[in-house]
Amino acid sequence: MGLGSQVHRMRYFCADAWDEWRHSLAVNLLALVTLVSALFVAGLVMLLVSNIEYQVQVLRDDVRVEVYLQDDQGDDDRRMLLQRLQATENVERVNYVDKAEALRRYREWAADLAELVNEFDANPLPASLEVFLTPGAEAAETATAIAVSLKDEAGVEEVRFNREWLGRLESLARLSRVGGGGVVAVVFVAVVFVMSSVLRLAVYARREEIEIMQLVGATPGFIRGPFLVAGAVQGLIASLLALLSVEGLRSIAIFYGNQGSVALLDLVAARPLSPSLAGSLLLLGLLVSLAGSYSSVRQSV
Amino acid sequence: MIRIEGLRKSFVGDVDALIDIDLEIQRGEFVFVTGSSGAGKSSLLRLLLRQERPTSGRILIDGTDVGALPASKVPRLRRSMGIVFQDFKLIQRKNALQNVSYVLNVAGLSRSEQRRRAYNALRSVGLSHRLTAFPRTLSGGEQQRVAIARAVVGEPSLLLADEPTGNLDPDLAVEIMRLFREINARGTTIVVATHDRDLIKRMQRRTIVLKRGRVVDVGNGS
Repeated sequence: MGLGSQVHRMRYFCADAWDEWRHSLAVNLLALVTLVSALFVAGLVMLLVSNIEYQVQVLRDDVRVEVYLQDDQGDDDRRMLLQRLQATENVERVNYVDKAEALRRYREWAADLAELVNEFDANPLPASLEVFLTPGAEAAETATAIAVSLKDEAGVEEVRFNREWLGRLESLARLSRVGGGGVVAVVFVAVVFVMSSVLRLAVYARREEIEIMQLVGATPGFIRGPFLVAGAVQGLIASLLALLSVEGLRSIAIFYGNQGSVALLDLVAARPLSPSLAGSLLLLGLLVSLAGSYSSVRQSV
Repeated sequence: MIRIEGLRKSFVGDVDALIDIDLEIQRGEFVFVTGSSGAGKSSLLRLLLRQERPTSGRILIDGTDVGALPASKVPRLRRSMGIVFQDFKLIQRKNALQNVSYVLNVAGLSRSEQRRRAYNALRSVGLSHRLTAFPRTLSGGEQQRVAIARAVVGEPSLLLADEPTGNLDPDLAVEIMRLFREINARGTTIVVATHDRDLIKRMQRRTIVLKRGRVVDVGNGS
């Protein structure tokens, strides 16, 4: 078949798909709404998981151990400790923050409470060593090892790092991946069932028409073509509507969230779906709808 | 054109629809197949159309064994025929012109060629003024004329009609037969299954009479 014939045939498929869509509006709208609902749930889960994973990654990349020093620690001891830490595997760099810098940061960070430190005769904030770790999966482990090794070190007041928070977030990310995957799987099993029933209904409504087409010599491909085009377009439209709904809901939540507490929203909805995830959702909608259309029409033709 | 040898068709439960049929229909012939309900007329047409396969025996159309034809070749076989049914079998969401041009679309003709030939076919059955009418807005006679236009638009060498006048009043039945006679005069072989004896008498063509699945008479219709 020549290119011209293929273009002509595709044009016919598109025109006939649209014609059929209009003539079976109720059934097709039902299929569309079902698909949009399922893809919306999938999109929300993707948004939630991707945001939690992003926050986990930010924390992982920013794992930092703060080693607070006693005021009486000598310069030589501090230098030796700094060199020892710099030589540790997975340590990117170590910064020394003296008492004056600590006070400056405190005033900048908590301007409202800055006056409090003036009550003291001397600067109460300790000097510290900020140990920045190489981003990666080993960062948390290295941080723990440093914390344990310096716990009883002479001249060290306290060692702190965001291990607990990171651990919780990583657990949450794991849970959201598994739970979200489960939710998406259940929703999709349900939607494939509903979609195939709805589409079978649409094909059943056209069984006489299909029989006529077969009797006048239409090939199976020629009969299936408009169904498949309709399925593909319906899948893409449903995906786009679901994406718009997810982004709309996210924007509304951020708008109202900004008037109250934003911590939870920052965690689950700070960033929109990435182009690759949005593309995946489009592809998912396209494939589910196309597969549903194919399996439904395959039973009749 | 059509050669049927030792044809037998049985359905589930050993119900014999057709038994030991041997027939020959020449190119350009106009033949009636008649008999009471359940005689096997429609079964014979379904076998010619390859909606069913013979239980035994052969149906040869222009030398092709229809029963042995693989499923992938059936659409091409059907495109070489024209078909007219009692219930018209028009696609309800397509108008008259679209119903007729569908056959040409399937055959891969260009849009302009489809429209030109579909228009000519509809004009030949007297429906050039109803091109954009949908089947539900057409009378029974008009719907059957659209179906006939669809059947002849691909210029088939064989036209099969199953009770084409069954849903029409006598005057319209005569009109439909006049159209068939014109089509036959252009060289198309026509096989019409009908139980309308008056119509057969009026047409004076070869008639194959079936009774309980067997050919019991072959006459000239007089």
